[in-house]
Amino acid sequence: MKITTRGINAPDLVTGLFLIAVALVALWLSWSLRAGTSFRMGPGYIPQALCWLQIAMGLFIVLQSFLGERVPWEPWLPRPIIGILASVTFFALTIERFGLIVAVFGVTVLACITNRETRLWEAVLLGAAMAAFSVLVFVIGLQLPIAVWKGL
Amino acid sequence: MDTLVAFAHGMAVALEPMNLVYCLVGALVGTLIGVLPGLGPVATVAMLLPVTFYLPPVSALIMLAGIYYGAQYGGSTTAILVNLPGENSSVVTCLDGYQMARRGRAGPALAIAALGSLFAGCMATLFIVLFAPPLAEVALAFGPAEYFSLMLLGLIAAIVLAQGSIVKALGMIVLGLLLSAVGTDVNSGGARMTLGIPALADGIGFVPLAMGLFAAGEIIRNLENPEQRSIFTGKITGLWPTRDDFRRAWPAVLRGTALGSVLGLLPGGGAMLSSFAAYALEKRISREPHRFGQGAIEGVAAPESANNAGAQTSFIPLLTLGIPANAVIALMAGAMMIHGIQPGPQVMTKNPELFWGVVASMIIGNVMLVVINLPLIRVWVWLLKMPYRFLYPMILVFCCIGVYSLNNSVFEVLLLVVFGFFGYVLLKLRCEPAPLLLSFVLGPLMEENLRRAMQISKGDPSVFVTRPISAVLLALTVGLLVLIVLPSLRRTREVAFQEEP
Repeated sequence: MKITTRGINAPDLVTGLFLIAVALVALWLSWSLRAGTSFRMGPGYIPQALCWLQIAMGLFIVLQSFLGERVPWEPWLPRPIIGILASVTFFALTIERFGLIVAVFGVTVLACITNRETRLWEAVLLGAAMAAFSVLVFVIGLQLPIAVWKGL
Repeated sequence: MDTLVAFAHGMAVALEPMNLVYCLVGALVGTLIGVLPGLGPVATVAMLLPVTFYLPPVSALIMLAGIYYGAQYGGSTTAILVNLPGENSSVVTCLDGYQMARRGRAGPALAIAALGSLFAGCMATLFIVLFAPPLAEVALAFGPAEYFSLMLLGLIAAIVLAQGSIVKALGMIVLGLLLSAVGTDVNSGGARMTLGIPALADGIGFVPLAMGLFAAGEIIRNLENPEQRSIFTGKITGLWPTRDDFRRAWPAVLRGTALGSVLGLLPGGGAMLSSFAAYALEKRISREPHRFGQGAIEGVAAPESANNAGAQTSFIPLLTLGIPANAVIALMAGAMMIHGIQPGPQVMTKNPELFWGVVASMIIGNVMLVVINLPLIRVWVWLLKMPYRFLYPMILVFCCIGVYSLNNSVFEVLLLVVFGFFGYVLLKLRCEPAPLLLSFVLGPLMEENLRRAMQISKGDPSVFVTRPISAVLLALTVGLLVLIVLPSLRRTREVAFQEEP
């Protein structure tokens, strides 16, 4: 038998607030767009209607989060978030400047060391393997137009 | 008769050597990602989308389809051997499949799963051949009002079938529609909500969004928990099921196939829903329900047949109505549009070799998959030993290259960063990303049809209820919404999704 206690459903509360926040930003962005009439809809008609709908839903979810059983907030761990996002960002910043080999090697190593269990030499080895594999499969095999290597 | 001729022609297309090769590649890749937990068909098809630029459309779709149903075969292997669903649609297979493996009967469980899937795959193909052409004819009578109402029905149906909170799923749908509104307005050509970024003029890319939600976000989430995976240590001895296994399994396979074929048709349906429903049905009608969870072969046969049938029939709404029923199918719609083919009823008449070629290839693919999965099972077992800590960097590399090579755009890779974080947030908030992705795809189509319908009716919204087909579709939508809110259905829906161990 599961014991339930009344209280705030934290994930739902944040979901509701998040939806409202996004809708408000979108409303602000689409404010200058002409809405028009339902006969001749302007570019702003649909986005603005959706924003209002989303705000209404957000409010409903917020209200509902106070009425059900308590669901605690799950903590967010910064290491995986930063590690994974940084590795993809590394790819974005290096692919055109330095080419595929550097970018792939960097993504792999950064992604690997996000996990504390993986040793550095394993990361470097996997990085080198992935770089070689990517060049072979994507550039030589599939002929995707990506620069392999650009001088530093 | 026409259908038979067309199907035979499709078979000839599917049997061309190049298409056979791509069918095999799709089946192999599908099995691979099915076996590997943490990598699903959505992320894989998204990664391979750029590659399909360089293929003829028929070969591209044959390969992508092979990945989707191939993943259903591979998913069962992981579920049975290590009690971990390789795919979401194999969650229920763990319950009895793993128990069979623990009793030393892994071989028969794998064999029944594969043979059941083969049967289901062939039947589902027949189902498509029989029902797709008449449906496409109905669809030709559709105007903008009907299309809009149908897509609305699809979105609402997707919620009924989604897991978790209904209101949150509705919220995700609206958010997806809103995201899809970013970009150039079709009618006026003006930029909408683009923040002045020229790269956003074409809208938010579907691939970075899909990969962010289904690959990057999930990787971050998985890394929060230390790796815990039971390793399969036993040996697989004797694949062939006993006579008793066959006697118990075949009615379950039949029921699973029928249920899966029908549920695959629904927008929002597909492989996952089918397997859950089939398991629940078997348990309910069984004379010995206590055997379920203890290694009942019906508990493997039914969901594995159902998920394969559902995966295949979920192509019907795309190829006849132009409406993608789930995220994987939405990506296939993307692949078709890359090649300038608008998914919809005209595919069958304008591109018959594509439609029938892909349908016929499903039979070939299913036969290949049985060969790939049964005699070669040891290869996949060996692959299962690859730890996740080496797997996720590879997934990330393929995501980056996939997103970048789509348009050679650095901006899209940065979008992947944004949506990766967004995907993680959604997972943390226990929001389902699938309805968001579905509405993101349908959004522009819905807006276009809504605006067109309103222009034709000179701004009179009653057009949606005065046209009979549209009225019926809207009535169904309202009915569904009412049903969702009713507590009794909410309970059965919860029960259906609570078969998880």
